Amino acid sequence: MKEKLASLLREGEAKILAAASETKLQEIKASLLGKQGSLTEIMKEMPKLDKSERPEVGKLVNELKTKFTALIDQQRENFMLKASEIPADFDVTVPGTMPSGGALHPITQMCYDLNDAFRSMGFEIYEEEDITSELYAFDKLNFPQNHPARESMDTYWLAGHDTGATNEKLCLRPHLTGGSVRYMQTHKPPYRFVYPGRVYRNETTDARHERAFFQYEALIVDKNIDFASGKVMLKSVLSKVFGRDVPVRMRIGFFPFVEPGFEIDMGCLVCGGKGCSVCKNVGWIEIMPGGTPHPNVLRSAGLNPDEFTGFYVNIGLDRLVMMRYGIDDVRLFHSADLRFLEQFK
Amino acid sequence: MKLSLNWIKDYVALPADLDLKKLAYDLTMSTVEVEDVKKLAESFDKILVGVIQEVLPHPNADKLRICKTDIGNGEVKEIVCGGSNLQAGMRVAVACPGAVVRWHGEGEPVVIKNAKLRGVASFGMICASSEIGLADLFPASTESEIIDLSAFDVPAGTPLADALDLNDIILEIDNKSMTNRPDLWGHYGIAREIAALYQLPLKEIPAFDPSGIPAMEIAIQDPQRCNRCIGAEMVNLSVKPSPYQMQCRIWKVGMRPINALVDITNYVMLATGQPTHAYDADQISGNITVRHAGNQEELVLLNDKKLVLTEDDLVIADSEGAVGLAGVMGGAKDSILNTTNRVILEVANFEASGIRRTALRYENRTEASARYEKAIDTDRCDQAVSIAISLFREIYPDLEIKAFTDNYPNQTSRKEIDVPVSWLSHRLGTDFTQEELSGLLGRLGFQVAFSGDLMHVTAPTWRSTGDIAIKDDVMEEIARMYGYENFQGETITTSFSGAINQLDIDLERRIKEYLAFRCGMQEVFTYPWMEDHYIQALSQDTEQMLAISTPPSPTEKYIRSSLLPNLVKAVSENLRYYPEFSIFEGARVFFDKNYHTHPGYDPSESLPEQRKHIGGAFVGDYKKISGLFRESKGVLENMARYVHMESLEFRQVTKPVWADETVWLNIFRGEVQVGEFALLSKKSALAAGIKNSAVMLFEIDEELLQPFTSRTNVFAHLPEYPMIDYDLSMLVDSGITWAQISEVILSKKKPGNFLQSCEFVEEYKGKQIPENKKSVTVRLVIGSSEKTLTSNEIESCAEGVMKILRKKLDAELRSK
Repeated sequence: MKEKLASLLREGEAKILAAASETKLQEIKASLLGKQGSLTEIMKEMPKLDKSERPEVGKLVNELKTKFTALIDQQRENFMLKASEIPADFDVTVPGTMPSGGALHPITQMCYDLNDAFRSMGFEIYEEEDITSELYAFDKLNFPQNHPARESMDTYWLAGHDTGATNEKLCLRPHLTGGSVRYMQTHKPPYRFVYPGRVYRNETTDARHERAFFQYEALIVDKNIDFASGKVMLKSVLSKVFGRDVPVRMRIGFFPFVEPGFEIDMGCLVCGGKGCSVCKNVGWIEIMPGGTPHPNVLRSAGLNPDEFTGFYVNIGLDRLVMMRYGIDDVRLFHSADLRFLEQFK
Repeated sequence: MKLSLNWIKDYVALPADLDLKKLAYDLTMSTVEVEDVKKLAESFDKILVGVIQEVLPHPNADKLRICKTDIGNGEVKEIVCGGSNLQAGMRVAVACPGAVVRWHGEGEPVVIKNAKLRGVASFGMICASSEIGLADLFPASTESEIIDLSAFDVPAGTPLADALDLNDIILEIDNKSMTNRPDLWGHYGIAREIAALYQLPLKEIPAFDPSGIPAMEIAIQDPQRCNRCIGAEMVNLSVKPSPYQMQCRIWKVGMRPINALVDITNYVMLATGQPTHAYDADQISGNITVRHAGNQEELVLLNDKKLVLTEDDLVIADSEGAVGLAGVMGGAKDSILNTTNRVILEVANFEASGIRRTALRYENRTEASARYEKAIDTDRCDQAVSIAISLFREIYPDLEIKAFTDNYPNQTSRKEIDVPVSWLSHRLGTDFTQEELSGLLGRLGFQVAFSGDLMHVTAPTWRSTGDIAIKDDVMEEIARMYGYENFQGETITTSFSGAINQLDIDLERRIKEYLAFRCGMQEVFTYPWMEDHYIQALSQDTEQMLAISTPPSPTEKYIRSSLLPNLVKAVSENLRYYPEFSIFEGARVFFDKNYHTHPGYDPSESLPEQRKHIGGAFVGDYKKISGLFRESKGVLENMARYVHMESLEFRQVTKPVWADETVWLNIFRGEVQVGEFALLSKKSALAAGIKNSAVMLFEIDEELLQPFTSRTNVFAHLPEYPMIDYDLSMLVDSGITWAQISEVILSKKKPGNFLQSCEFVEEYKGKQIPENKKSVTVRLVIGSSEKTLTSNEIESCAEGVMKILRKKLDAELRSK
């Protein structure tokens, strides 16, 4: 009897573990534990046993029953885990579909990246109208009366507003800096703001020159700013935007509205400063003028230049975006060509 | 501007081991931007002086010759050449294999290789001047003339660069980086700056001593416009080529040698930055006067331009009339002629802005006017006269100076500025000792004296014509001499003054991000100017449009008062590649009206109306217009919710001129019309070159939108009892609108009725639907907040809706 039970245990366990499906498992369960199952058959033989053997065999039968039930449950759990209604030949290498989504213009993207960086440092974002008078485009920025940029060579004057005194002459703004004076005239110092916008130049266009392009001006005016601190600020903004350390250098540059004035270069990110065609082999790319606002500019904004000073930069957004992606033709930005724009999703 | 390093070395002794890269770097960081440093000799690599020993005929070509040419080290090579002036004994330029030339001076550079020419092997080539870039220095009279170098007494095999004094470095300076530095517009000025940077001695140019020379009459009519005029009359001259070294220098920095008399004046300008002019003294009658031109006075310039002058122009005149346009260009009649043997040299200083006005008035900017208009100091005339007269004497040993006059009403005075030292330290973030300050400024020619905290600075004359004017200018000099890289910056600290809260700025960003990211639209940029063609296509009224006085093209003079013409252009252009897409643009538009001042701005300024608009276009197949309409309307209807602003409504009030007769809506915020939304009319689309596509356009005045100060979503309790969707389909007259249907249905929504809301599901016209009818499916939401409804209650609610639809709209219903 005991041997019978031992061999039933071995056979039963083997069958359960070999069961390939839930249905098969049900069949095995019936064949072992069912009304006509092997164990039931054995139990029917119990009365034939000697009375003294019965408790021990009864115990063994119960143990066997428990073992089989536990094993079947465990096997069933395994089946559940692996259960799938999907045929095995389902192709998982088929490509996914593109979520329908548009994109912001790559210049807007750069602008927002800069906005986020500057705002995190407490800068306001300023915007201003595109048409301005010569008074704000040049006079208030300390441009000498005979500065070449005042002539139609460089500036788009408006028909019917292209002669007369400087407050009467109107143009599409050739740069943003005049707008900064407007900000200072209508806000209380100290100032800390950025000013993105489109500017216009009457130029012959080519891959590097455009008639409409974007500038991004940042200005701090306070009582205790020295220009070297401006460099630190700028470096941290560019490093955030480009996601890595960006070398920045300031060198002498002349712009009527700053004194001292700088050309600010950033290390070429294409070659890492070793020299390549993008940076004309110098390892640096000129991206913005900057400097300390000229005392006359502060005066035209109603500030005392002996009390206030500041730091100013005017980032060429187009050039920065060209640098970011290696774009070689600035005219693509205003082309509205979706084949170009869709690349920046 | 190009500079020759050899020429600079005339004035400052540069160290022999000078690192050119460092020189370019230091100048760029501290003075002017050096764009290029070019070793001139590299262009003449593998080009030698050869001596032709024998000229033999070519067996297969009449025009070619075979030249047996000595190229040094005893090597004699056969070179095939088509030159018309080949002769035995002639020194020629031989481009050996590996040299770079340009065929006939045109096209791409070519590397010379050993080759057979008409069956005869040739070692390299004998060059014409244009083929090796020397055409201006050695002009050829015919195309087939090769350079004759016989005048250069060098042995065969001498590298051409050595023979022709071309071992030089050419620095190219960005002119824009020195518009404020008139003192740098010549070799001496740059030499002075280099001497200051490296603390090297600078060669002095002693002034010319005119003692013993009789005076001549030079009158200055308006000392405000002419600060100084020197005249020197010289005789025993002739027109001949200038010495090779002078020609070569002039050529190396980008000018063309002409003849000795003209070359001297150009050389002096390139050396000192001071323009000069030489007149043929035989053509000058009577005394010289610097005066205003007469109104309508005529003058023919050296370049044969005939000018009719104004009284604002300044001329150099003799007793018969103007002989030169002061500071700009000499006259054709009285300047150097082929027969000139007596010269009057003019070295003058003119007021800058007058010269600029004149040069611009006649669009006749010259090397001279470019220098004068930057304001040159009057002392520079002395250097110019000194260098000029020594050159004249060198080239014309028999020369006699017959007369000399220096009429000098206004000397440039040295600018004096007081700079508080404490202010300097504060601004620079660095303290300097008095010795350091005197040292840094002294190198640049400034005189410095201290009294207490004040530093009294006297600028040198060459920096005193406007460049150095205020204490900030002095600070810049100190900073750049100290080196911008040597200042250590500190981080700028923020003071807390409240969070930045800019609702309008944030709203615009949310709108753009909504359109791009949620609605799948692509942002585009277009120019503010529009092509007339698209203005007309959209029937835009140009009455209130502003125009550019010198537009990018004659048909693009108007600047936009609406974003739509340029968006339609973008649609038309993109349709070549994409059948379906949607784009948007945010930009300012302009109106020739409502000129206004702005509080806080200069009250004398008056600006036209300018508004921020946002516009877009949805493009698709014309046959699928209803889908396109719903999709685009959905974008506008849901915008308010996603961008957190007051909601928009759509009504038909005034049809936009460019819109389809039927498919158009005006957009309102409350009672304020903020924009338009419509299908581009067939006529406008065709005029814009759009054939089978439907274009839904919208344009909204962003400034009329009202952002919420915070999010305004409303929370509602989740329903405790089920809400049932109950779909109904009905046939109605095709003229019945959704607005009518929903209004009728919702009239049943009142207390005691279980109808909660209704939604549009679809609309269908076509097969199986009678003509003039349409099938509309709506979804009723039926439920109660108090109990689970029985099916009888639900049916009876739906029945009520159907009944009223039948009654009010004559609808034929079947429940789904």
